[in-house]
Amino acid sequence: MGTMADTSALEPGSFRDPESRVFYAGDEVYRALSADGLGDFEALAATGLLDDPRLIGTRRADDVSALRGLLVHEPAGVLRHERIPFVSYPYEWTFSMLKDAALVQLDLLLAALEHDLVLKDSTPYNVQFRGATPQFVDIGSFERIREGEPWVGYRQFCMLYLYPLLLQSAKGVPFQPWLRGAIDGITPGQMRGLMSFRDRFRKGVFTNVFLHARLEKRYADRPDQVKQEVKRVFKKELFVANVRKMRKLVERQSWDPPEGVWTAYGERNSYTDDDAARKDAFVREVATSREWGLVWDIGANNGRYSRIAAEGARTVVAVDADQGPVELLYRDLRSEGDEKILTLTMNLADPSPGLGWRGLERRSMPERGTPDLVLALALIHHVAISANVPVKEFVDWLTSLRTALVIEFPTREDPMVKKLLAPKREGLHPDYELGFFERCLNEAFEVDRSERLESGTRVLYYARPKGR
Amino acid sequence: MTTVLAYLDPGSGSMILQIIAGGLAAVAVTAKLYWNRILRFLRIRKDEPETSKTDTAQGTDTA
Repeated sequence: MGTMADTSALEPGSFRDPESRVFYAGDEVYRALSADGLGDFEALAATGLLDDPRLIGTRRADDVSALRGLLVHEPAGVLRHERIPFVSYPYEWTFSMLKDAALVQLDLLLAALEHDLVLKDSTPYNVQFRGATPQFVDIGSFERIREGEPWVGYRQFCMLYLYPLLLQSAKGVPFQPWLRGAIDGITPGQMRGLMSFRDRFRKGVFTNVFLHARLEKRYADRPDQVKQEVKRVFKKELFVANVRKMRKLVERQSWDPPEGVWTAYGERNSYTDDDAARKDAFVREVATSREWGLVWDIGANNGRYSRIAAEGARTVVAVDADQGPVELLYRDLRSEGDEKILTLTMNLADPSPGLGWRGLERRSMPERGTPDLVLALALIHHVAISANVPVKEFVDWLTSLRTALVIEFPTREDPMVKKLLAPKREGLHPDYELGFFERCLNEAFEVDRSERLESGTRVLYYARPKGR
Repeated sequence: MTTVLAYLDPGSGSMILQIIAGGLAAVAVTAKLYWNRILRFLRIRKDEPETSKTDTAQGTDTA
């Protein structure tokens, strides 16, 4: 590894493929290629596929001095990639996001096959979102096809795309905890255990789950023999047919949020119209007061305020613990061709941790980019009362982000707060109180503006971190 | 001897499956072609130019 003093560093999540390795120098993202890797890249460049908008913008950049000392071998070539505004992971995506990523993966594989290239793996971590637009980022995944080679990434596709989609589509079980729980996804054997007898009659399930699990068990100890045999009979036509079949199967998978979510998506919020208008105006004034780089809208719900924030920000990350409204928001943004608002589903009281080798392959959200502005609207009562996070700790966490803040505090008289407190023992959450909250906020932040909404039970604040 | 060198383990069972799944697809396409021929013979379907044989990928879902 290079010295820690300079600004260049290897991406700790990019070590699995020895032919290509991602590193950073200053603000730029690079990829170092081995001789083989470079040969594959040149083959890819010759096809014209590099200009496809589904691929991350990439060009040659061989004279990079920042690379010195980072790699064991001198690379044969270096690429420079466009930056993705905010990195996200499949266990933070909604159903349609994972499905769209799967389709991009398969379509690019089909396009590659036409030029005698393949994608050497099938991991959703190779897809990132620019707003609601998926983009394939692992240029190093393209390689020249070898005679008699089967679809090497098929098993990985099942484990990280097909099974998670099936789980939610057929069983109504959200896939996110499964992907967060295992970086390699769900194995065929595990998936088989999750399927009922009736499930084997669902299209694609018998072959891709039951038969797959059985064959995996039977041939586990004979890899050499199988490899030779497969090479002898496998043809490219078979490869293409299998990928097309998989595409149809993925296309069939569907999931919709429960009915209540649809209704609420249109007209969430328990405030009067006047309150809503004043809240819109408050957020809009802050959002457009300067050019914000990265905005987090935590507890984004139907994305009403993410959209307002996007009027004045380069990138908005809209996060909500409830997958339903986030899914509907994603669908709307997708049909609008949005490239600014990234929708994610994650429980703020149980946020994405560092995962993988050394806990560094996948990072926590703040490690992927701290926000310039955070919107925390109609959120603190959920965190403090439902998740039992002390009010002071929540404000401390916001302080640690060193970000400007628009926060809403619903008082104890607010109907929603009353509802959340109702099932709790009398006298719990004494810290959930307007005066105490304001003291906590004033300790770490400079409160620029505050406004009590007409109904009287909700107060908005615009605050900046002290000393900035 | 050149072996397929992938950094990812394709999985032995997974490779066999692709041949079986592909095999079923091939059988299905052949069956479909014959079925069309029977229908034409029985005058249930009108004559139309037969789709090319390289089109193995279509209609695989009937497998």
